[in-house]
Amino acid sequence: MTNINDIILVLILLSVLLSLASNRLITLVKVMALQGILVSLQPLLLDHHSNMGSGGVIFFQIMLLIKGILIPGLLFVALKRISIKREIEPIIGYHASLLAGLLIILLSVFITDKLQSSIPRGHELILTTAIATMSAGFFLMMSRRKAITQVIGYLMLENGIYLVGTALTRHSHTIYVVEFGVLLDLLVGVMIMGIILHDINHAYDDIDTDLLNRLKD
Amino acid sequence: MLELIFLLPLLTGIISLFLPLNIGRPMLLIVALLHVQLSIMGWLGKLPVYNADFFSPQPAGMLVLLVTSFIFFWISLYTVRYIKETGMENKPVFLGCMLLFLGTMSMVTLADHPIVLWIAIEATTLVSAPLIFLHRSKEALEATWKYVLICSVGIALALLGCFFITLSIDIADVDIPLTFASLNQVAGQLDPIWLKAGFIFILIGFGTKMGLAPLHTWLPDAHSQAPSSASALLSGALLNCAFLGIYKTHTLMVLAGLGDFSGKLLVGFGLISMLVAGIFIMRQSDYKRMLAYSSIENMGVIAFGVGIGGFALYGAILHMIHHSLIKSSLFLSAGNIMRGFGSKAVKEVGGLIKYLPKTFLSFFAGFIGIAGLPPFGLFLSELFILIGTFQAHKPVAAFLFGFSLLLVIAGAAKIVMKMSFSDKPAWQNPMTQPQQRNETFMRTFPPYVLLLASLVLCIWMPDRLYTTIANTIQIIGGTING
Repeated sequence: MTNINDIILVLILLSVLLSLASNRLITLVKVMALQGILVSLQPLLLDHHSNMGSGGVIFFQIMLLIKGILIPGLLFVALKRISIKREIEPIIGYHASLLAGLLIILLSVFITDKLQSSIPRGHELILTTAIATMSAGFFLMMSRRKAITQVIGYLMLENGIYLVGTALTRHSHTIYVVEFGVLLDLLVGVMIMGIILHDINHAYDDIDTDLLNRLKD
Repeated sequence: MLELIFLLPLLTGIISLFLPLNIGRPMLLIVALLHVQLSIMGWLGKLPVYNADFFSPQPAGMLVLLVTSFIFFWISLYTVRYIKETGMENKPVFLGCMLLFLGTMSMVTLADHPIVLWIAIEATTLVSAPLIFLHRSKEALEATWKYVLICSVGIALALLGCFFITLSIDIADVDIPLTFASLNQVAGQLDPIWLKAGFIFILIGFGTKMGLAPLHTWLPDAHSQAPSSASALLSGALLNCAFLGIYKTHTLMVLAGLGDFSGKLLVGFGLISMLVAGIFIMRQSDYKRMLAYSSIENMGVIAFGVGIGGFALYGAILHMIHHSLIKSSLFLSAGNIMRGFGSKAVKEVGGLIKYLPKTFLSFFAGFIGIAGLPPFGLFLSELFILIGTFQAHKPVAAFLFGFSLLLVIAGAAKIVMKMSFSDKPAWQNPMTQPQQRNETFMRTFPPYVLLLASLVLCIWMPDRLYTTIANTIQIIGGTING
């Protein structure tokens, strides 16, 4: 049985693996843009969202705009300004990261299997994808040195959480106004991180987080 | 309408980002005054709610709102003077962000929808980041980066927790609007597994923001690098707002019959925070960091008291109020010390009693208060929590609680005594000798008022406040009669 839903979810999983394996930051931003678009398309295609009003349609367009274009655009601008092409010497190498990504997916399948009895039927793959995306986001944050990769890891974590929120729960509870607020917070957050990123680069001539070790006990 | 309480500072905050400084400064004071007035009107129930799906005046939130509003007024009085005296860049941004910070914090206190609450708490992180970054040093940069990243990631987990709670409604197939008030009514029917998962994620998420160990790593950095009035707000108001998120979820858990589970987690986190703070406070070389660790300890005390429940719950709520008053006063005094001596290092400060007598009085009295000694309020609240713990038959927890309190007092006393009474501070150059004329009235007065408020509340508490606290804690089995 192949339906378009499953295809999108598999593509999201692939984008997670791709982001763990890529060493060029530009590619990473592009993968994030793709993932953002996929994550915002997913809820549109679910059965229990079939009768959404005009408010819902507009919301999902805005979501696509913010997640797929605006945030990657901001990251792209930040990348241009600090002019760093590729991540050098990650804490955990790319091949090892890829392997870790596969392990993460396996683990999320296992967790979903355990939770199967207590989630709405037919949503197993969504939960697997969401858990994998979140964990991979955490992994990216911990295993890379550059501050911008940490921001991208944060975004990936947020994408996974969003998948839980928009795809797994019913829409009568999370009203579009509320979700729009979440998106806005995310956007402003990335903007502020971009500004600080620029300042870190300005102060240290690099955005390596190893340099941020002046404050400690 | 009730929403004015947060709309007013939000709008004026955005406007004053672009205003010149000589209009922005009075505006901060005027808005702070109006906010106190609006809060009291909201407190007395004179403001109708416009959007009841998202906002409602719940007693716990109103308590935090009143405390926030009160301390914000005095801190803004201090800030107006402080900003005039110090040479910092981007003062309009600072003033604007102060107001935005007040606005988002008020929104937290009024929000009744879990995800709106989340939006407001995340917004507090974003608008307070520029406050920490104000001095633009490398250290400030590092502190801001840590603050924004750690808190955002932490709070992202809380969003997941909120979604899990939504899922628990879906699974149980109950048809209710998603607000804490209506959730509390049907708590027994909700799906317990997802409710538990939701609580764990919310505790981790908002616990990061509240500064519970081991998730506290951003807190000492941010609080020590921010300008004093910003640190006072962070410690006195922001931590309470994060606590409110945990408290509301804990209430839901208790009503769903899972209070044992959530209470144990809170007690555990509380004790760990207190011990960690006690250990790290021992050898602090920076007095603002010392105050930050003391905040971690006090948040631990609050979490501990809430987890124990019963009479200790009353103690925890009292502790929250008094901690806000005393800690913000202490941070303002620390700002005065920094103006006087030009350093945050303990070893470069000495003889406070001789050089800055007015500041000495507020700083030392604040220390007495934070150490939990009479006549200040923390004495009562810590005593109540201890009695409550014994009543709940948890002697081991009570012992650990008392032990960590002593640890913190000992660590802090060593530093405060040295700063206050030592004869020869190790000044690196004679130019940094403190000057008494630096003690202006508007910078020394607010710390006194905040301490006095704690003192007064200890002896006499308005009936209205008393009944509100009683209403807050009654639903989850708290009691005000030992």
